[in-house]
Amino acid sequence: MQNLKYLILLVGFAMVGCSDLVEEPVGLLAPDGFFKSTDDIQTAVDGSFTHAINEKFWGRKLSIALMLRSDMVDLASNETRRVENNEFTTLASNGMISEFWPKTYQGIAAANQAIAGAENVDVAEELKNPVTAQAYFIRAFYYFHLVRLFGDVPYIDAPIADAAAAASISKTPAAEVYQNIISDLEYAKTWLPNTQSSRAIPAKSAASSYLALVHLTMGNYDQAFAEAKEVIDNAATYDLALEPDFQVLFDANQIDGSKEPIFALDYNNVEAPNNAYDQIAPMTGIRGDDRNSGGGWSVAVPTLEVYTTWPAGDYRRAVSLDEEVSIGGTQVSFTNFDISGHQFAKNNPYIAKYTRFPGPFARGNARATSHNYSMIRYAEVLLIAAEAAVELNDNASATNYINQVRARARSGGSWNDTEPSAVPADITGTVTVDDVLEERRYELAFECKRWYDIVRRRIGDEVFSASGLEGEKEFFTADDYLLPLPADELERNPNLTQNPGY
Amino acid sequence: MILRTKLMLVGLLFLNISLFAQDTRVLTGTVSDADDFTLIGVNILVTGTSRGTSTDFDGNYELEVSTGDVLQFSYTGYVSQTITVGNQTELNVTLAGDAAVLEEVVVVGYGSRKKSDITGAVSSVKSEELNAFPVLDAAQALQGRAAGVVVQSNNGGEPGAPINIKIRGNTSISANSSPLIVVDGFVGATMPQANDIASMEVLKDASATAIYGSRGSNGVILVTTKKGKSGRLSIELNSTYATQNTANELDLLNADEFADYQNQIRANNGISTPYPQGPADTDWQDLIYQSGNTQNHQLSLSGGSDKVNFYASGNFFDQQGIVVNSGFERATFLSNIDAQVNDKFKLGLNLFGSRGTKDGVTTQSDGSVTVGGDDVISLAMRFAPDKPVQDEDGNFTTNDVIGDEVDNPFAVATQRVDETVTDNFRANVYANYDILKNLSFKTTFGLSSENVSRGVYQPSSLQITASAVGGRASVVNTKRTSVLSENYLTYTKEIGKGALTLLGGYSYQKNKNEAFAAAGTGFLSDAFSYYALSTATGLLQPASSLSETEIQSQFGRLNYDYDNRYLVTATVRRDGASNFAANNKYAVFPSAALGWKISNEDFLIDNETISSLKLRVSYGVTGNPSISPYQSLARFASLYASRNGQTVFAITPDQPANPDLKWESSYQTNIGVDLGLIDNRVNLSVDYYNIDTKDLILGNNGIPEYFGFQNDEILTNLGEINNRGFEISLNTKNIVKGDFRWSTDFNLSANKNEVAALINDADLFGNAAPSYFSHDRSYVLRVGEEVGLFWGYEYSGVYQGGDLPAGTQTLTGGVAGDPLFVDTDGNGEITEADRTIIGNPNPDFTFGFTNNFTYKNFDLNIFFQGAQGGDIFNMTNVQLNNGDANTTRDYFNNAWTPTNTDTDQPRVGNNSNREISSRFVEDGSYIRLKNIALGYNLPTATVEKLGIGGIRLSVSAQNLLTITDYSGLDPEVNYFGASGDNNTSSNTVQGFDFGNYPTVKSFNFSLNVQF
Repeated sequence: MQNLKYLILLVGFAMVGCSDLVEEPVGLLAPDGFFKSTDDIQTAVDGSFTHAINEKFWGRKLSIALMLRSDMVDLASNETRRVENNEFTTLASNGMISEFWPKTYQGIAAANQAIAGAENVDVAEELKNPVTAQAYFIRAFYYFHLVRLFGDVPYIDAPIADAAAAASISKTPAAEVYQNIISDLEYAKTWLPNTQSSRAIPAKSAASSYLALVHLTMGNYDQAFAEAKEVIDNAATYDLALEPDFQVLFDANQIDGSKEPIFALDYNNVEAPNNAYDQIAPMTGIRGDDRNSGGGWSVAVPTLEVYTTWPAGDYRRAVSLDEEVSIGGTQVSFTNFDISGHQFAKNNPYIAKYTRFPGPFARGNARATSHNYSMIRYAEVLLIAAEAAVELNDNASATNYINQVRARARSGGSWNDTEPSAVPADITGTVTVDDVLEERRYELAFECKRWYDIVRRRIGDEVFSASGLEGEKEFFTADDYLLPLPADELERNPNLTQNPGY
Repeated sequence: MILRTKLMLVGLLFLNISLFAQDTRVLTGTVSDADDFTLIGVNILVTGTSRGTSTDFDGNYELEVSTGDVLQFSYTGYVSQTITVGNQTELNVTLAGDAAVLEEVVVVGYGSRKKSDITGAVSSVKSEELNAFPVLDAAQALQGRAAGVVVQSNNGGEPGAPINIKIRGNTSISANSSPLIVVDGFVGATMPQANDIASMEVLKDASATAIYGSRGSNGVILVTTKKGKSGRLSIELNSTYATQNTANELDLLNADEFADYQNQIRANNGISTPYPQGPADTDWQDLIYQSGNTQNHQLSLSGGSDKVNFYASGNFFDQQGIVVNSGFERATFLSNIDAQVNDKFKLGLNLFGSRGTKDGVTTQSDGSVTVGGDDVISLAMRFAPDKPVQDEDGNFTTNDVIGDEVDNPFAVATQRVDETVTDNFRANVYANYDILKNLSFKTTFGLSSENVSRGVYQPSSLQITASAVGGRASVVNTKRTSVLSENYLTYTKEIGKGALTLLGGYSYQKNKNEAFAAAGTGFLSDAFSYYALSTATGLLQPASSLSETEIQSQFGRLNYDYDNRYLVTATVRRDGASNFAANNKYAVFPSAALGWKISNEDFLIDNETISSLKLRVSYGVTGNPSISPYQSLARFASLYASRNGQTVFAITPDQPANPDLKWESSYQTNIGVDLGLIDNRVNLSVDYYNIDTKDLILGNNGIPEYFGFQNDEILTNLGEINNRGFEISLNTKNIVKGDFRWSTDFNLSANKNEVAALINDADLFGNAAPSYFSHDRSYVLRVGEEVGLFWGYEYSGVYQGGDLPAGTQTLTGGVAGDPLFVDTDGNGEITEADRTIIGNPNPDFTFGFTNNFTYKNFDLNIFFQGAQGGDIFNMTNVQLNNGDANTTRDYFNNAWTPTNTDTDQPRVGNNSNREISSRFVEDGSYIRLKNIALGYNLPTATVEKLGIGGIRLSVSAQNLLTITDYSGLDPEVNYFGASGDNNTSSNTVQGFDFGNYPTVKSFNFSLNVQF
């Protein structure tokens, strides 16, 4: 009897424990159970968007690579990774590609996570799909860069579940990637609202405008025209218009109030960890410039020809380039920019779109601006419509759209209180593709659009010849229209093949 | 039932009457061993009663007895004797050594074995050795005492610094290599006070540790605390007081020499402006060092009846460090109660609690604090000596002329507040029930909790660190709790000549860690210290976290002894752990061992010389639970994002799920011989072991980047490490003659470590230099080599100008007087490719050597301990020879000048820029007189007059003498490196010296009183 009591006591002691050993983390960001509300989808969407502002993407590595590869921006540096992009001697080990390749895919992975996570959110479609649509949009945005840069690429559209299988996939053909981009943008167009509280959050017009650009790039001119025209015809609904003063588009203090940007990147006003901030301004700035706490680093600098061939009466030249600044307390014209004594200082007008009004939050060298750079703006949509109209032999539309852009360029503006000018004159005869490309070159100068224009129109042989803006680029070949995939990525997945010529 | 009770009452009455009827008298006597050596503390009990006593320091006892009483004399290691009292008043007893030492009982996991029946590699350390001199952490007392066990403080003599133990080498690269500590059966417990420990067993081979499965591969230390003995109440007081000083200071330049030095540097670099010498001549080392002291007081009570016994002790430890403002204070209590409830049922309770308060001065730094400096000892070496402590305005001076801009060391030591309070509590209940005569069930249930609270305040008087922000405060609280339930059956059976013991059980443990941290800057007053975070004008991001792990296990063991000649041990444990990855939740760890008592064979049993000889062989697998909680789960990372101009938190995929990640496994073979000669007066144990550790977890950046994870490393089980070596321990009783005894204990261990596999077998580099050294590599892991070899340039003397000696080059722009390096790849310049292995911090062997002398009431203990063959990288000299800091007289006087060309020291202000080269690699071998202690037991006659059981006085000195060629402060170096901290021990960062808290020289007085 007595012993039974002890036995019960013993069993009581021994009863503790017995677990399925499954970990249930609290306070840690684990995917299981994370997605419960539309806010959670938005959190993942924000993650995807914020990769784009990183120094490894638009903050420097991709934007500067796109500038250097074009004929509008030359190099003032001997850094190998930059020389390789400027001179078309790019190696598969290039130090800029190795940065923006993973960063682009990190943006895609976050978007995939948002899209997959949205399926677990038990909320009506009308409420959650407009949020998820942002993820579709940004995924298309990233893949559109990839497919234009690299052609065929690994296409991932869901969170990695089977790492071993995903590590041995082959590249998806560019045509298929384009179809996926279009389908993502169509979804975005369906669900995004007409307007958003910020141009850095995509609205329906952003999806349509990108669809227009994607179709233009693919040579689907009728679809490109239709999409662009839809945006133009609904400009009031979408709250879009050309900004009267071109300078406002490149002023961090004013840009957020403008109706012209359709989709912009939301630049933090903090020097966030992990280089998640803008460095385009320092890269394009003038050495010794008394502005911007220490001037710029003078790396991406246009040749003198960019300036001399640009019609002087075009207000956009005055906004796009700095001809005169104060260096070490002395006001000097560009012919004396080398008084800074820096080895790479150039006596050329420097890019002014980023350094002139970087905003109140810019740190030293105009780093970490809060300047929400436009990825696509209304003027470009007009030019897409014009170019597509030319291809569709609709000269009336082409003339109408291109001249809207040209008119704004002649109307002067706040910079140096520029008066309206007649130069360049409106186009009156037949608009050609070259006319539109030339207009794009001026309108979108240094906005990282030019390289993609050169690629899609295959005009490298012409623009990189001896008569080009940067003189002859002797190493340029048709293979350079595509970049090499990073060499170490091919080692990690031997089923990936390198692009020709690398 | 009623009838029986009545009968009992009658019986009791009768007994009482008979007691009264008998006249009691005092029996006295002496208990000694076969060599006439008196035995202290022999337990004497009148059987069937709670009356008893124990022998005093002279082996004498006195006890009230009656004729016919049955006395039991018992003493560990001796055969107990039972004597019925006759008419005598004096009874002298001689206890026979029960095959003396070999009959010691050794605690093993979930049980105990006679030492002679042990088949694994187990070292026992006794209470006397642990208490030979006062230590803060009982783990320190293990140093040099057990073969194969290397003990090192994480920061020299810093009061309260964590102690790092390694058994049989580094068995991992990234996971913890510290052994599992089990206190009275509680797995993962805090080490009790040394005075409270009865014995420590170090389990080394797989046969001994596999019963602890996935936590066994680093070895296991089993700690048994003191228990009460039946008999009279024993009260014991231990008091020690010690004074301490730094064993060493560097010989640095004074202010005038320093100005001279700086001017020479300027001249060598073509600068004509003279160094603006400051007004003072400050010896910073003198300012930060002081004479420290330690006191330790312990009061213990023990005793009991034949059914219940108890032990309780309280302890107070207080240490003032040798660096101003550093100190440690701790109060501990421990109590053990055991009750034999009835003949089948036994209950027990262990309680432990402690509070430790550490006043810290940061003496080491990872160098990541780019402004201010936070490493007092290195600051005291490098700070300009021509600066006063305070300037004319009363502000603390800073290093603003040369070198890095830092606060002065005196300011950092005296102004910065850094207090860590650690509370520990543990309760463990057990119940043992004998189901059958040979089958018993034991269950234990325990709880432990540890709360650590650290507050740091950097006042605005620290010009560089905190003045601009108006003071900086932080508070970090961590709380760890553990619940453990263990339940097991033990079955014994004699089968003919064989004896079988079977053990089987189940265990469950849950650990929970919570942490909270908050910090702020800009306070109204420095007087608030870190207690007024709410008044901070700048709040830094708070942090909190939770992690939980569960481990549930089944285990079993078979012991079979045939004819006291052949021994078999087999164990197995199956561990399931929540932190293990999804596809590998359970792990099985088996082991087996064979023992052969050759001395019990016919051909040896009568041998006069060989009294015991045993051969042991074992093999088994153990694990290292190297996967941290949640490490194998898919994870998101948080990012700053901007949305509508507001900063928001966003997420992005950080790492994929890693469901196949496994624990690290050690496959260990052990072969050992135990030999006893001449009645076991000479005991020798030799063990050889080989440990192959596989599935080491390493970061592999082999996942494609198009996966889009932030973290490009994925952990894989790809590394392998081998450790093999010898351990020898020799105990001899050299002289046993009358009042004089001399015994010697010697142990030596030699471990050879080898990296056997890495990812793609590619070299793994790491950096231990403080981050402002701007190096990315200072050590290497290479397949076929030992872990953590120094990596840098091969120094080949000073460039004398003219033609370069063949195969050497200077760094770019080298001129006469600059250092020369071996141009390994012969390309005509010194580049990254010229770096090579320049030193090995792993010692060839470590040893401990103890001599004990006893003469009458005196005893003398002399303990040497040392290491042979490990290199040290003297990073202190890298910094001090760089020109932008004070330097040693040795360097200044020997540096190359056009008139002093016959030297191996480059010119001052040379172009080497803190290079990592063999110039700074030194031999770190040493022999240290760890302890010398003289004890005296007051004669019983004297003591008895005071009514006291015994008094012992002793004086001792620690670290009195160190023989080494190492030029730095202390050869026991332990700089934690660029990414380390004071609380972690790295497997790969070894042998670097940079601003460690020096080992202290200590003089100690102790008093022990027994009532």
